[in-house]
Amino acid sequence: MLVPINIIVNGEEYHLKVKPNQILLDVLREDLGLTGSKQGCGLGKCGACTVLLNGKPVHSCLILAPYADGKEIVTIEGIAGEEPHPLQTAFAEKGAVQCGFCTPGMINAAKALLDDNPEPSEAEIKLAIAGNLCRCTGYNQIVSAIQSCAPSNSDIQTEKRGKSNE
Amino acid sequence: MRIQPFDYWAAPGLNEALNELDLHGADATVIAGGTDLVLNMKKKNILPRRVISLHNLNELDFVLTDESLDNDSVRIGALSKHADLAENPFLKQHFPILCEAVGLIGSWQIRNVGTIGGNICNASPAADSAPPLLVLDAQLVLASKKGEKKISLESFFTGPGATVLEPDQILKEIVIELPKQPSAGCYMKLRRRKAVDVSLAGVAFQAETGPDRKTLAKVGIALGGVAPTPVRVPEAEALLAGRTLDEAVTKISDCAEIAAKAASPIDDVRATASYRRTIINVFIQRCAQNVLNTLKNSGGD
Repeated sequence: MLVPINIIVNGEEYHLKVKPNQILLDVLREDLGLTGSKQGCGLGKCGACTVLLNGKPVHSCLILAPYADGKEIVTIEGIAGEEPHPLQTAFAEKGAVQCGFCTPGMINAAKALLDDNPEPSEAEIKLAIAGNLCRCTGYNQIVSAIQSCAPSNSDIQTEKRGKSNE
Repeated sequence: MRIQPFDYWAAPGLNEALNELDLHGADATVIAGGTDLVLNMKKKNILPRRVISLHNLNELDFVLTDESLDNDSVRIGALSKHADLAENPFLKQHFPILCEAVGLIGSWQIRNVGTIGGNICNASPAADSAPPLLVLDAQLVLASKKGEKKISLESFFTGPGATVLEPDQILKEIVIELPKQPSAGCYMKLRRRKAVDVSLAGVAFQAETGPDRKTLAKVGIALGGVAPTPVRVPEAEALLAGRTLDEAVTKISDCAEIAAKAASPIDDVRATASYRRTIINVFIQRCAQNVLNTLKNSGGD
């Protein structure tokens, strides 16, 4: 049994026929070749598969493909324009990437936060990325990278934290 | 982690969904956001042969106020997502306890997809939305092709994962009466990780004063994760109801002890029964202090 779905992924329209038991993450990775989104736990606990569905972060590993019908999806491949997205630059500069497995999901969650709330507090950042596990960085660099993307914030928050996160 | 194949049909509207359930409800699994069902399909805990999806029923994604002569109430559509409810200004004003609780479910990613109707119908003993809705005396509107029926949430749960919902019925909306006098509530949940974790024990405490604003006219106490279903604790409520705010403060520890005794927690990999019982006691004391303080400060003196 195949179900027709129409989705927009990173600005491009796709008319697909999917199996109803296929999850969105597999459609993105296997059918569309967008392997930036990762499967970590596959159980909605680690956030590595986070993509934006109509602008909101979701676990693409827990979404049946037909659920995405008519919706717009942004994956890590669609975050950058001509230049890398400020979050991507900040993650690289602040050392917020080590093994990199959590990074696509982390950046998607952070982008959704900043789109909604350009000046988040540290607590708001931590809440927004609470569904994304990182086993390398200890989160400090990630939080500071996200903070540095707030328009008013260059390095003020990093200094306030008192530790050398640079 | 493949999901076994199944037949799939997404209902375009409520009437179509009810017609389909009338015909095939008995051998179909109904899915809304799917944050829990898909997980259980992956783990092979459930192997549905036929899935009916309600995710397109935008007509059930709403928060509306109903004004009538005696009782103003709010109606919450079953397909409302946790993230929207947690931020809803009207609910935040009148039922902050519900916003707090649904804001603690899973992670942001899960709250953007999971629905309050799914959280209730899934009937997990630890469902975070249940204790607050229980203490708010929530009513459920169940719809089937034959018509609608209104029942109390308290009579809805029958066991872990089990409810009185018939195969041809769906939960359409949740109705809560607006408080007439100052009210306050508090929800606390114990978990091992700050996000994503299932509740090991949850406590909801809600109270409303009488017209004098000094006496407790209504007290609601409900527990999650420590019995086969989310439960209210009428014995503990009765100890505080009818008392003045000042008297009630002196009874908090007795009240907490009664509630902890009423719980029937189990030992499992997450926590021991005795730890859960102790936590219930502590959380009730903290919630009650918090609520009574809020009511005292809003007492209009």
